[in-house]
Amino acid sequence: MSETSYAVLGTFETPDALMQAIPKVRASKLGTVEAYTPYAIHGIEEALGLRRSPLGGMVLVMGVLGALTAFGFQYWISAIDYPIITGGKAPDSWEAFIPIMFEVTVLFATFTAGLGMLFLLNKLPFFGHPVLSSKSIKSITRDRYVLALEAESEAFDSAAAAAALQAAGASQVEILPAPDRSPFLTSDYILRAAGGIFTACLGAGLVMYFAIKLFPVVAPMKYMQDQPRLNAQKASSFFKDGHGMQRPVAGTVARGHLPTATGTQEEAATLANPLPRTREVFAAGRQAYKNRCEVCHGSVGDGVGSLTAAYGGKPANLQAQQFRDYPDGKIYWAIVNGKNAMPSHAADLSESQRWAVVHYVRALQRAQNAKDEDLKVAIP
Amino acid sequence: MSQNPMSQNNNTSNLLWGATALGALGVAGAYFAAGPERFWANWILWFVLLFTLGLGSLFIVALEHLVSAKWSVPVRRIPERLATLLIPAIPVGLIALAAIPVLYPGARPEAAHHPILAGKAFWLSLPFFSVRTLIAFALVLLGLGVLVGGSLKQDASKDPAFNVRARKFAPAFMAIFALVITLVAFDWISGLTPEWYSDIFGVYVFAGAFLSGLAATALAVLYLQDQGRLEGVRGDHLYNLGGFLFAFTVFWSYIGFAQYMLMWYANLPDEVIYYKVRLAGAWRAITISLALLHFVLPFFALVTRDSKKDPRRLRRVALLMLGAHVLDIYWLIFPVLGAKPHFSWPELSFALFFLGGILLWVRGAMQKGEDMPVGDPFLREGLEFRL
Repeated sequence: MSETSYAVLGTFETPDALMQAIPKVRASKLGTVEAYTPYAIHGIEEALGLRRSPLGGMVLVMGVLGALTAFGFQYWISAIDYPIITGGKAPDSWEAFIPIMFEVTVLFATFTAGLGMLFLLNKLPFFGHPVLSSKSIKSITRDRYVLALEAESEAFDSAAAAAALQAAGASQVEILPAPDRSPFLTSDYILRAAGGIFTACLGAGLVMYFAIKLFPVVAPMKYMQDQPRLNAQKASSFFKDGHGMQRPVAGTVARGHLPTATGTQEEAATLANPLPRTREVFAAGRQAYKNRCEVCHGSVGDGVGSLTAAYGGKPANLQAQQFRDYPDGKIYWAIVNGKNAMPSHAADLSESQRWAVVHYVRALQRAQNAKDEDLKVAIP
Repeated sequence: MSQNPMSQNNNTSNLLWGATALGALGVAGAYFAAGPERFWANWILWFVLLFTLGLGSLFIVALEHLVSAKWSVPVRRIPERLATLLIPAIPVGLIALAAIPVLYPGARPEAAHHPILAGKAFWLSLPFFSVRTLIAFALVLLGLGVLVGGSLKQDASKDPAFNVRARKFAPAFMAIFALVITLVAFDWISGLTPEWYSDIFGVYVFAGAFLSGLAATALAVLYLQDQGRLEGVRGDHLYNLGGFLFAFTVFWSYIGFAQYMLMWYANLPDEVIYYKVRLAGAWRAITISLALLHFVLPFFALVTRDSKKDPRRLRRVALLMLGAHVLDIYWLIFPVLGAKPHFSWPELSFALFFLGGILLWVRGAMQKGEDMPVGDPFLREGLEFRL
């Protein structure tokens, strides 16, 4: 006979009878002992000699691995690959890594717990346990307690197992044949077939998707972020050097921007202020002067600003004769390139703001050294 | 009654009384030798410890009534007895009111000219502070009377109506508890640095209080088990206590770190100064050891399933948690005295005095009434609890 039984099931009337039978059946050493009960019975794990689940250890290892992974990724990104100082924190500030480390630890641990239990320990997927096709299954799920002696090999002796179960006090004994694999209409087969169809559809769908994506007869989908354009800090095959960001072409002028005069102070001295003397220009110059210049040069340009007292520096007194004699271009040049301890303000002030400041400085100088005819103008 | 020979009982009793008396001498000396600021800082430390320990224990009792927990009925008398520590905590707290003009900047006259404190002047002033404290004490006594007193009466009357009443009172007590623990946190601890504020601080103190109550309960359960007085309490009950300890260790750390990280990120001067002090000099070592003792060590000690049932390990972890709670409150309070941590004979005398007093009180409480709530109809179900 090639057909062997899967297991022999013995039915017991009470949980106590089951518990008393377990050591006897285990002592017979005929096969693996498994118990089926309608509800959890305390102490049955110990009686069956079930080993401690290795899941806890797996979860711990994977949790630690998750923490290290999260730390490693963040450290790599923030401290090594692209270090940027944000919020005044050092690139390798571990405090900022903790929340993500926590989350990834939990993610790894829960996935290990869930998937490890299902696939590694419970050996899913399978579509039907052989005991589900036994006669005893009705009573297992209702009011009886069943012990199974499961066959470990072909040499399993069903008769001896049945005798051992009866000797241990089983009220009924059922020999459960090994699952029959031939007929098509078992739930097992149907489930497998359905699973197969689903997997085939999934596979076909994936194949189609990638086929169309890799050999685009018709592009399947267009994402807005994939449009052919230049992105800041991204590579681009359009340019020879492979960079998306390019320097402006030499000698070009952007629309709406005056060219910044460079060169020597002497060259700059010949520049004329391109802005008209209007109320708006003076207001803009006053605003820019207040924001950038006043702390050092003082509110009237006499070189007594709030920083002067604090740091003991000596900013230029713009009211001095030397600066009143400066041509506009030289003041402009000082704003753009800096002078002595004064840094360049080119990055902070736009072209028109610089020239507006020049106008405003002129106004300050004239206000402090007003002539008689100026006063007449001021009186309405 | 315990089976111990009387002589041994007398010996421990004498030892405890002696330690308490010695501590009392040191406490009195500390006021004159170490100055009022340090004296009152110690006093507040022990008031907060005593109060959070009692309140945390009472919270456990109320929580069990709130959810009608059955497993905990056999061990419920332990937190009930520990909660009576709130009774000695009240005179300690009333004396602590004398510390307010000394230690609390909000109650000093110059606070009226302080740009931040002037706006909080009414809240921080001594009269309102005292009124709040008295209200808190009255509310706590109400909870103690209903939950603990009722349970003791039920021993004799066997009246199941108490369970219904406690179940109905428990939600109200949760509101009372939230109010009182927040007042303790914001008035007594955070009030020492009134420019600093943290919305989550009350939850942080709650986590510490609940943990200390749990740790003390676990310790007392193990102690009574050794004396053979808790017949029927087994590993399954210990497991739940251990599980709670484990869970709330993580909770405490989560809250503590969340509070720290937001302030670290935002870097606002008035907030970050609080941590700046605690992360500089000798305080840095204490901060790091607090993280280790209050989180890392108990976490890994309790992470496996068997360790939560193992009485020896549970006892060690519970002791560690209580010690860490003391360190936690010390870490909250003492930096206001200056950049250098104070630890010398005044602190030791206070520890002797209050620890001796607490142990004497708890020992007395443990002798009163039955060891289990014998009148509770769910006691049997609780004893039959299995994981």
